[in-house]
Amino acid sequence: MRAGSAFLAGVGSAAIVAIGWQAGVGTLVSSLPQSQAAASGATTAASSSSGASSSTTADTSTPAATTAPVASGIADGTYDGAVVNTRYGPQQVQVVIAGGKISDVVVLQTQTADRKSEQISSRANPILREEVLTSQSSKVANVSGATYTSQSYIQSLQSALDAAGFTG
Amino acid sequence: MSTLTPMPPSQRDRRPSAPTQRAKAIKRGYKARLRRGDLLETIVYFSVAIVLALFLADGGATYFLKINDAITGLGIVTGLIGSDLLLIMLLLAARIPVVDRTFGHDKALALHRKLGKPVLYLILAHMVLLMIGYGISQGLNPVAEAIDMIFNQQDMSIAFIAMGMLIMVVVTSLVIVRKKLSYEFWYLVHLLSYGAILLALPHQFTQGSMFAEGTWARWYWMALYVGTLAAITIFRVIVPVASSLRHDLRVSEVVIEAPGVVSVTMRGRDLDALRAQGGQFFQWRFWTPGLFWQAHPYSLSAHPDGRSLRITVRDLGAGSAKLLALKSGTRVSFEGPYGLFTEEARTTPKAVFVGAGIGITPIRALLEASNLAPNEATVILRGSDPEDVYLWQETYDLCVEKSASLRVIVGHRPRGVHTWLSSEAYGNGESLLTLAPQIKDSDLYICGPTPWTELVIRDAQRLGLKEHQIHAERFDF
Repeated sequence: MRAGSAFLAGVGSAAIVAIGWQAGVGTLVSSLPQSQAAASGATTAASSSSGASSSTTADTSTPAATTAPVASGIADGTYDGAVVNTRYGPQQVQVVIAGGKISDVVVLQTQTADRKSEQISSRANPILREEVLTSQSSKVANVSGATYTSQSYIQSLQSALDAAGFTG
Repeated sequence: MSTLTPMPPSQRDRRPSAPTQRAKAIKRGYKARLRRGDLLETIVYFSVAIVLALFLADGGATYFLKINDAITGLGIVTGLIGSDLLLIMLLLAARIPVVDRTFGHDKALALHRKLGKPVLYLILAHMVLLMIGYGISQGLNPVAEAIDMIFNQQDMSIAFIAMGMLIMVVVTSLVIVRKKLSYEFWYLVHLLSYGAILLALPHQFTQGSMFAEGTWARWYWMALYVGTLAAITIFRVIVPVASSLRHDLRVSEVVIEAPGVVSVTMRGRDLDALRAQGGQFFQWRFWTPGLFWQAHPYSLSAHPDGRSLRITVRDLGAGSAKLLALKSGTRVSFEGPYGLFTEEARTTPKAVFVGAGIGITPIRALLEASNLAPNEATVILRGSDPEDVYLWQETYDLCVEKSASLRVIVGHRPRGVHTWLSSEAYGNGESLLTLAPQIKDSDLYICGPTPWTELVIRDAQRLGLKEHQIHAERFDF
């Protein structure tokens, strides 16, 4: 390779890596200690708003409806799913039923055992939510590269849907 | 600050003579090839940079905030770069025409071999680092972590098998090169590498995030995998089969040139469309009961005339002897033409051709294909005895036709001296410079046994010839 071309190839490669760094630096900043505290504060707030009825540590806790009791068929409201434990941490979701449809799925807790798990979950959960809202059921495909997150998400969601008496 | 100096009218109006135009054309071709080469090399560097960039864009830098995560992060990076280079290795061996025309088949394969060990080390590092990194986060020692991966994690058992296969491919390749194991064995071992890549794919989907939905990495890796698979399928399977069927090549004549040396002439349809040149080689397969299961690389011994192709083969391997018994009309399938031991590799108008033994036959074909002005070329042929100077008469006639000087050196090489010359020529003080006085500003083409070729190259380098001036065809795979 000629010197000029080698120089250009080097500069180009450095530029490509720099672009990648720039694109990912947001994730890096958000995972620094102080912002981590802010993030965990937000999580606490979210779980308290969902009601104190569900224990976040008991893995076989029966799903509990936080608002309207399950009387006849599908009642609008929010329902917490069971906590599903995985080797990368527990996962629990909450489903919001409005007008007889799944209108939202909120993640109450998710795998955060290490940075890899944290990353995988934060990528997979929004994808799973989209798919659930589209298909209006828990019968959605696993997100590739996020098998544990997907399976625990689907399992927790199904228990919440069962509690709501939602059959799709 | 710059000043424009107008060209003197006398110089501006002078029309370039034919030889300078030819020199310019050669220089243009050479520069274009250099540019193409630099571009291809740049693509390789960029691919590694893109892999790193995608990793960083996906938040990869967060791994390096804590020491045990850093081990995991490093394990992921080595795996990603290893995979990237492994696919580039496959592309180098995929017989992609632009790679062959730019670097030549032999140089592409030399680079392929050179990448073999680093790629193995990267992927081994990937395995070991992740065993340690994931082991720490789960409180397991690396071995226990590996066992946990194999038995409990999706697709990891076959990923470990793939690793074993990859080790086998690289190790046997090194042993084969050293001990000269058979081509067929080498071929079978290399099929294993495709198996290793296929077995390693599932864990990249389920465990890694190379193909994670919603990321750019997914598109990059898909393009790379699909592109590599397509290149291999097209250039190693579809093109050779289609070309063999189209040209319907059949043996037309078998001539004994010397004891143990035969020329095989083959005729076929539309051979012009192959655009084969003297100096190139094909992988040949003769459809007779004893030969159909093996393909052999032989160079053309004549520049194709559009109606026939000719090879000249010495009784070297198991296959060569059976060529003597070929009947006319035997079907021949082929892969090729390959190689940059051609007129296209020229960098200057002058040329020196050096051939020894059976290596004279590609030199003869190359000479026939070369565009040479009178007195611009020197041909040096060497044989241990007069019978070894194969295709002597044809080469002599070509030298007369092209006004090239011809030097023939016959006789055994002296004992105890590292020289490519015969003992007589060596004793008389002959050298590359005395045999070919214009060699310093010529292209040097060499074809012969590898150790002999290395000696010619050594002498050329001592004379100050640059790497780009030296073109050697090596007969190994």
